[in-house]
Amino acid sequence: MIECIELTKRFKNVVAVDALSLKVRPGEIYGFLGPNGAGKTTTIKMIAGTLRPTSGRVLIDGVDLAQSPEEAKRVVGFIPDRPFLYEKLTGLEFLQFMAGLYGVNSGKFLSRAQSLLELFELTDWRHELVESYSHGMKQRLIMSAALLPRPKVLVVDEPMVGLDPRGARLVSNIFRQLRRNGVSIFVSTHTLSIAAELCDRIGIILRGRLLVEGAVAELQAQAGAEGQLEDAFLKLTGGEEEQALASFLLDQSES
Amino acid sequence: MKTYLLLLSPRLFSFRNRIQKGEEGSGLRLALMILIALGFWVGILFGFYKVLAYFQAAEGFGEILARKLMGMVWLTFFAILLFSNVITALSTFFLSKDLETIHSSPVSLETVFWARLTDTLIDSSWMVLFFGVPVFFAYGIVFKAGLLYYLYLIAVVPPFLILATALGAAFTMLLVNIFPAQRTKDILFLLSILAVIVLYLLFRFMRPERLVNPEAFSSTVSYFTALSTPTSPYLPSHWATEVLWPSLAADTYSEAGFYLLLLISTAAAFSVLASWIAGSVYAYGFSKSQEAARRALTRFNPIEILAWLAGRPLAPPSRVLIAKDVRTFFRDNTQWSQLLLLLALIVVYLYNFSVLDLKKSPIPTFYLQNIISFLNIGLASFVAASLAVRFVFPAVSQEGFAYWIIRSSPVTLKRFLWTKFWIYTPPLIIVAEILIVLSNYLLNVTSFMMVISTVTIFCIVLGLIGLAVGLGAVYPRFEAENLAQVATGFGGMIFMILGAIYVAVIVTLEAWPVYAIFMAQLRGLAWPVWKIFVIGFCFLGVIGVNLAALFVPMHLGLNRLAAREAT
Repeated sequence: MIECIELTKRFKNVVAVDALSLKVRPGEIYGFLGPNGAGKTTTIKMIAGTLRPTSGRVLIDGVDLAQSPEEAKRVVGFIPDRPFLYEKLTGLEFLQFMAGLYGVNSGKFLSRAQSLLELFELTDWRHELVESYSHGMKQRLIMSAALLPRPKVLVVDEPMVGLDPRGARLVSNIFRQLRRNGVSIFVSTHTLSIAAELCDRIGIILRGRLLVEGAVAELQAQAGAEGQLEDAFLKLTGGEEEQALASFLLDQSES
Repeated sequence: MKTYLLLLSPRLFSFRNRIQKGEEGSGLRLALMILIALGFWVGILFGFYKVLAYFQAAEGFGEILARKLMGMVWLTFFAILLFSNVITALSTFFLSKDLETIHSSPVSLETVFWARLTDTLIDSSWMVLFFGVPVFFAYGIVFKAGLLYYLYLIAVVPPFLILATALGAAFTMLLVNIFPAQRTKDILFLLSILAVIVLYLLFRFMRPERLVNPEAFSSTVSYFTALSTPTSPYLPSHWATEVLWPSLAADTYSEAGFYLLLLISTAAAFSVLASWIAGSVYAYGFSKSQEAARRALTRFNPIEILAWLAGRPLAPPSRVLIAKDVRTFFRDNTQWSQLLLLLALIVVYLYNFSVLDLKKSPIPTFYLQNIISFLNIGLASFVAASLAVRFVFPAVSQEGFAYWIIRSSPVTLKRFLWTKFWIYTPPLIIVAEILIVLSNYLLNVTSFMMVISTVTIFCIVLGLIGLAVGLGAVYPRFEAENLAQVATGFGGMIFMILGAIYVAVIVTLEAWPVYAIFMAQLRGLAWPVWKIFVIGFCFLGVIGVNLAALFVPMHLGLNRLAAREAT
């Protein structure tokens, strides 16, 4: 459903993403992990079509994003990590706006919008301006908007940021349901427990290159780590941060 | 003191970094900005020099006029400073994004207050200071002032600015404790717009052009009485005038020292008073400003109808883009309230034509009416360009950080940009045509002139909108917090320059053909082939320039937005 072929992004002298190739199958949740600055958000933006790759291709449902961007984007729902929205629209008006952009049938709009607002517990706020929403509410509104056109592909950058435990649980359940419906979900996250619990396969990116890819058990086997996904992640990505943290804590206790 | 300086350091570092790590082309941008600012500066100096020299030439009352004018200048500055300080203090004390970090740090409220007061002072005063200096230089030059005048000037400005800041900050502290900060900002903004409109209309309807003509007054006595009315001795503007005037007029008996001390002590006293007020109400006011206010919206109102109607003729994606922009515009008080200014502008524009006394001119009225009508195309186009830079140029930037929504959606950049074009076309054409048709009606022009000016302004407005939307996309500022900043930035300046050139080219290209046709109609002259050829060539040129103004910037804007995705 999503296919990245030799995807490369260069910012002047910095190679943010380096010949990255991966595939997300229909009905699969793909977790995209990596330390800060590894190239996760750059990759996500290229898949969502907001950033053009220096070279390489992105295919969405078999459609080349560079060749037919409108056709490809029509089946993608994008949820960025920071919920920047039109502050002077109400929640319902924002959904109406998104429905217009994605060509959702106006006859079906209201019932779909109402059920999504209900699902994300925003019904009472639907006539309030977005500027009065909390961070978590904005995040939930973006999710409602992304699901409104019934996308075949969902691209999510940090899905749980700003959500309370109840909201996080709700999102996990929705992702599982979407997977059952055949939707491909590409998730970038720092929350390893969520990745381990939710994702069918995980890819780890480091300095712009896809380091490893596979199911959680496979990654643990590759890393020679036991127990948690966190151990495998730290082993595969060098664990420098972990070591730095340990020495910092040691310094604190000695002083 | 150390913490106070530390609190001021972010703005200093940001300023330094902006200069050191300027964006590509920022050197040229800075040079252009400086050039334009200097142009204004010299213009003010020259204007005041001419006025004061003219006053001085008038025996007897010239000096009274100059002194009166100085009092008015100080009073105007004080009023502007007070208003600007209240608005700035709302941001620096209550709405700035960094306040949460600062208030959560272990710094005393008093230190925060003094640091923020300094921020307010700088932000609200630098422009008045910059554009005020040439006024007082003009006084110095015309009255051949000595060193003492300039020393007094240096001494009088700081307490004058500080007094306005202290008063403004104290007023804001009290205001925010009564109303929510965001709402206070909206109300103040609206009030300031209304104040400007009232002042503008009053000033125009007073017909100040008659002031330089004492004959217009019923008697010389009433003229002098009007001039010599003293200003209030309790106003700082009066004190500042009293400090400077004796050294200009070389008065031997001077109370300058007294008034300077009065100004300094009052500024100090009000600063301390403001800090006391802050001590008791700032913490509560800041806490209150953090509370989000729910705003009730009515579901059925004229804005909803307009949002629905505006997009009807277009395809669904354009329709929702238009509805979104209409709603956003009318729900943002800082945006729609400027329409009131526009209304005042139209009223004064037409009023100018109604009071135009053409009979006094040595040129026959009939010719003059039609010449003015033709030149009016340029004037109305300039008004349209000013509206375009304020409302149309920021159209792309107004998407702000939410621009990702457009880019990740299946809407082409072309549709996005052309939708922006169509949103602004009907309102701007209606305004420009109202200006042209009504002023032509007041001028009583021929039907040929009526047709040529309405058609020309229609085409020019289309070109200006294309230029504004296109250049707005070439120079987008999605990160700008305030859309007015977008209009006054580098891109806005480029638009105004190109817009003025564009209008000048069209008017020049049409000038001769319109004159030739007008005269031929009037005198029943024959049409030689060469004349028809030149006229045709000129009108083809007009069409070509209009099409270029419309499509070239749109094309450039489209390319620029597409190129953004590659960076």
